[in-house]
Amino acid sequence: MKEYFADLFAAVTSIAKGMGITLAHLFTKNETQQYLSEENPGARWQSVIVPEGLLQDRSRMRLHVKIEDCIGCKQCEKVCPVDCIDITTEKREKTDAPIFAADGTAVKQKVVQFDIDMSLCCYCSLCVYPCPTECIVMTPEYEFAETVKSEFLYRFAKETPAPPEPPKKETSDPVAAGGS
Amino acid sequence: MSSQTQYKDLEPDEAYAFKPEDLEPDEMILNMGPQHPSTHGVLRIELKTDGEIVKDAQPHIGYLHRNFEKHAENIDYQGVIPFTDRMDYVGSMNNSLTYAVAVEKLMEIEVNERVQSIRVITSELQRIASHLLALGTYGMDIGAFTPFLHSFREREKILDLFEWLCGARLLYNYNWIGGLSHDLPNQWTDRAKIFLDQFEPVIDELDNLLSYNKIFTKRTADVGIIPPERAVGYALTGPNLRGSGIKWDIRKEDPYCGYEKYEFDVPVGQGRYGPIGSCWDRYYVRVEEMRQSVRITRQAIEQMPAEGDVRETVPKRVKPKPGEAYGRTEAPRGELGFYVVSDGGLIPYRVKGRSPCFVAMSIFREIAKGEMIADMIAIIGSLDIVLGEIDR
Repeated sequence: MKEYFADLFAAVTSIAKGMGITLAHLFTKNETQQYLSEENPGARWQSVIVPEGLLQDRSRMRLHVKIEDCIGCKQCEKVCPVDCIDITTEKREKTDAPIFAADGTAVKQKVVQFDIDMSLCCYCSLCVYPCPTECIVMTPEYEFAETVKSEFLYRFAKETPAPPEPPKKETSDPVAAGGS
Repeated sequence: MSSQTQYKDLEPDEAYAFKPEDLEPDEMILNMGPQHPSTHGVLRIELKTDGEIVKDAQPHIGYLHRNFEKHAENIDYQGVIPFTDRMDYVGSMNNSLTYAVAVEKLMEIEVNERVQSIRVITSELQRIASHLLALGTYGMDIGAFTPFLHSFREREKILDLFEWLCGARLLYNYNWIGGLSHDLPNQWTDRAKIFLDQFEPVIDELDNLLSYNKIFTKRTADVGIIPPERAVGYALTGPNLRGSGIKWDIRKEDPYCGYEKYEFDVPVGQGRYGPIGSCWDRYYVRVEEMRQSVRITRQAIEQMPAEGDVRETVPKRVKPKPGEAYGRTEAPRGELGFYVVSDGGLIPYRVKGRSPCFVAMSIFREIAKGEMIADMIAIIGSLDIVLGEIDR
């Protein structure tokens, strides 16, 4: 009996102690932040610990390819652990005018297809490091949700060959339809 | 549809460990999970109950199976690291570190001191983040919602530090074979120090909020007791073993990354609110470990050499000689190990993961017998399992 009331007393005091902490936090600054509020549209997460503007310095979100700089070496395709990059190249004619990437490398291959399926990408950024012309980069862009899965297939090549004729019946598999 | 594999349902014999015909008159079979909010993932537990008492409990795993080991046999050594990150997705830094340590052992690479220090800093911060998640959700499982908000607020700061460091918040791909993907940015260590300074009082606050709360201690202190000899018998590691009062820590016993340089204690369960090895002991070992992690991080930041290339020893081509190596580290959940076998090619012959959560799950049946149904939640939470690592 005595223990029962001692337990009750301990429970009430320890809860009061916890409530005291909660009460003290009532008067501190808000920790939560409004996502895309009317006051600051386009606002991103403001970190309390990281200095402003530095958080996204190395962000690894959506992939982007500067296709003019791509020399078609396919190193990113080889290193990708989930095989989400699909590249097709054609040899350029010797009579064509020489083209150079931004760092001066001669472009000898014509990239006719450079597809990245962002729904497969695992954001490891392993494709970024071996690129000799630094044309494939990860951008801090994270808002690219789509309602259709085939929209995640990003076609970066300018001279993308026409996609194969879709089968008569609607397929539910957009990856197969994208040809990757 | 004809070309696709036809999946057939499991026979009742395979899906259930307990047979309805073997039940006593008062007994009942109850499925807990796989979509139960307190199972920390997708874990199904089959309970044989007699009223409120659990007579027997059989965990069924495999709902989050992602074929890690077979994947690893088909990609190059560097490509395995993103998959290791996804095993224990709340302690990714430690997972990739373990794999990197194992392959470095295989290739006989010695990383420089700056890399070692940064690895210690990041893995200790990750341990704090992981324990914060474990403690916060444990409180929520028991019925205390507020500590969860406090712990996630702090965890967010660590994730911000990591995003600043390597660009990702959860799946970092930061520890590479022979080095790191990025060097520390300017001011990073200063900001980490600011975080540690303001984090230490928060641990005391969490203590007062949850650890010593009478309701919480009543719910956890007499539940799920693992005696020391049984903990050793089931090969438990990490906080689950130390909660039973056994001082075993890979960082002390088999130091890696220069842990022998740092001063820290190995907290063990004291049995303050009941028998030793209870859920409360395992919980409190994690709280104490956060304090020790803060201590180690401070020392590592202090002793870190200012100069050094973090990619100095990164091999151009990871092609180990034929052989095998087992690398192990103290992950937040216990001893994590990777056994890597090489046949001299560019692709690993075999990568086997030794997961602490899988081992911890094996003792569940033993300690669940005779407890109440409501205590199942307390036991699962105190073992701190992550299903991504159990199923791999």
